[in-house]
Amino acid sequence: MASTDQQPKSQQKLILTTSDDHDIEVDRDVAERSILIKNLLDDFGPDAEIDKIPIPNVNEAVMKKVIEWCTHHRGDPPASQDDDTDNRKKSTDIDEWDQKFMQVDQEMLFEIILAANYLDIKALLDVGCKTVANMIKGKSPEEIRKTFNIQNDFTPEEEDQIRRENEWAEDR
Amino acid sequence: MPPNRTLPELPAEVLESVLLHLDAPSLSALSLTSKFLQDFVADAHVVWRNLCLTTFQFWDPRHDITAKSSEPLSKAGWRALFHYRIHVRQETRRLLNNVLQLQYRRVQHIVEAAGYGYDAKDTLLEEFDCPDDCEDVLARRYYAHAILGRIQRELAIKVWKDLSGGKDVPLERALSAFDMFALVGRDVDLNRTSAELDDLARRLLRKYPAFPDMSTRAKASTLGQFLHDQGFRGVSDESYRALRNSFIGLAMRLPKHESLPLISVAIYCAIASRVGLNARPCGFIFHVICWVSAPKSYTLDGEYKPSQSDELDTMYVDPFRGGDEVFKADLIRKLKGLAVPASQHAYYLSPSTTSELVIRTARNITASVQSVRQNRGPYQFGVHAQSWHSPEPDVDGAFYGAIWAITLVSGAGGDVAGNMPESSHDVETRRRQYLPYLLECFQLHFPWDITLLEEHAIPLFPDPPDQNRLKIFTQSMRKLDSVRKEVNRRPPQNDKVLFKVGQLFRHKRYDYEGVVTGWDPACNAGEDWIQHMGVDRLQGGRNQSFYHVLVDDKTVRYVAEENIEPVEPGTEPSAAMLTLAGRYFKRWDRHNNIFVSNVRDEYPDD
Repeated sequence: MASTDQQPKSQQKLILTTSDDHDIEVDRDVAERSILIKNLLDDFGPDAEIDKIPIPNVNEAVMKKVIEWCTHHRGDPPASQDDDTDNRKKSTDIDEWDQKFMQVDQEMLFEIILAANYLDIKALLDVGCKTVANMIKGKSPEEIRKTFNIQNDFTPEEEDQIRRENEWAEDR
Repeated sequence: MPPNRTLPELPAEVLESVLLHLDAPSLSALSLTSKFLQDFVADAHVVWRNLCLTTFQFWDPRHDITAKSSEPLSKAGWRALFHYRIHVRQETRRLLNNVLQLQYRRVQHIVEAAGYGYDAKDTLLEEFDCPDDCEDVLARRYYAHAILGRIQRELAIKVWKDLSGGKDVPLERALSAFDMFALVGRDVDLNRTSAELDDLARRLLRKYPAFPDMSTRAKASTLGQFLHDQGFRGVSDESYRALRNSFIGLAMRLPKHESLPLISVAIYCAIASRVGLNARPCGFIFHVICWVSAPKSYTLDGEYKPSQSDELDTMYVDPFRGGDEVFKADLIRKLKGLAVPASQHAYYLSPSTTSELVIRTARNITASVQSVRQNRGPYQFGVHAQSWHSPEPDVDGAFYGAIWAITLVSGAGGDVAGNMPESSHDVETRRRQYLPYLLECFQLHFPWDITLLEEHAIPLFPDPPDQNRLKIFTQSMRKLDSVRKEVNRRPPQNDKVLFKVGQLFRHKRYDYEGVVTGWDPACNAGEDWIQHMGVDRLQGGRNQSFYHVLVDDKTVRYVAEENIEPVEPGTEPSAAMLTLAGRYFKRWDRHNNIFVSNVRDEYPDD
């Protein structure tokens, strides 16, 4: 699966080896949605013979989901590098395809987020974080605990006090 | 597969990215779930900064929000700041609701809300944008606007005080202060004008990359050409006197960029100072132009010419007329033609101080206001008060700002023709001369400026008799605000007062649009007024009902019942009337053809 010839990237193939030792074949431009993989390939230069890229933090099931997302988004413009996103109004709007894509159990959702974080796929990480944020929005503390299986370690007195301290947030 | 993960086990930077998508109530709920999340949310400084900067656009200058944004995150105290702003929002709303509820202590509540300064601006704009079907839409907009105007004026006054106190105030800032008096709203902002000038300067350098290396003469003409190309072309003779031409913020913002020469010059000089060209306004007679100098030891054409003397190689430019060079010989010829003594020529040909230009702008504004008022004539109502969305400056606000500038800024010269600098005696005389206008304007249109008057104007009149008089005046204004209005009930039978508070009408003789804001069963004015107005010559004489009315030119009048012609059903009030009516009314009731009273504490049966 070398990339010495001058084929377009969409026709070059790569093999990714997952943590559970499965090989997955993928188009190079799809794999390059991952900045981790893209930087790796760039480091080796265009003439390097790369057979397999080991991805030790991601298992096959998750990797397949990630590749599904990258394939759908292969034509998207690359993410801008300037990091002024911090101060921009965060919207939790997610496009329809991504919403459907994220309809997975919580275990898988967190795995996708962790994989996106590791593989450095900013847009996917963003969709994942928005999905989690949407699962928190509008819920009471008790509902949030239930959703994410969080152990309440406050005493009733502590809880009461924090609730009072947080009254300001009721105002919209 | 790793064990089942839950939210707190996400890596900190990922969890932080999740929090960046949450609003304040969700963050609060999340921090109530567990000790770990409570601490995590509290310490997520980047989240609080993001929440501050995305929830609120305007910040009081004392926070120095730009500097804070580059401080280390943990030091800046963003979480506390966010809580503070939420508190300000609640307080501003509470105070505005008090203002809307009762006339009693209205001024006090407005002053209190204005005390939050620019921190209240976001909330006031939100309240101003209340939906059209809001129960008290007109009053809410009117008073949100009034409080914001009060905040803007305080900032403007501080600019002029700084200038007067010898601080280095950029010319564009000193002139933007006039905008802060005459226009109120989101776009009216001292910093915004500076930012727009920064932007123009950047565009100039992008368009002419070689600019920094040009000779002074080439820079001067390039800048003139650039501004001309950007649409800054002064103003035509027909619109020369229009009030809007004296406001630098407005000239920057409006697509036609019309302005008087002084403002054209100020824009030219402001950009020059940003791109390394030494250009300063020169207060020539009748027409401000631009004085430009080469750096020391260089000629205007960029030649190196070392010299012992401090004299610089200078030229003149007229940005109002396309940025062309003006020759000194022509200027001197003009001065001679106007019979200006040769001893004064140097004064007219040198750069003016910022104070001089502020005073000159104030005089330009009063001249425009006078011409607006004269054109209106005694009984012609062609010129209405501005409506909310009009880009035109408010005539009364503009005039009031000009008087404040004249009162505050000293060390300036110049009447319209640009006379010689004045002495401190001149300044005192000038202040005294304008004081009655200041007080009248305050009393009629801006009674909530009481603290501004006490803090910034009264100390300028240190003579004991003046002090006494002014103190009695402000005390009486305060007292007026702190007593409940006398209640006017209608009798259960034989109510002879025909019209109700809120009645829209046209004056039978003068045909102006007005609305009833109060009434007396018989003329309640003093004998002098009754004689002077010839009340007894009216058909119904002095014993008919009389009405306090608000007219669409912002004046308040007292009208006999026989002169009130109620409008036909289905008639809508003018845009100006809908704007002004908020001072007394909640909304326009289309169904019943009447303004809904907001003065029920005074007229409970109307």
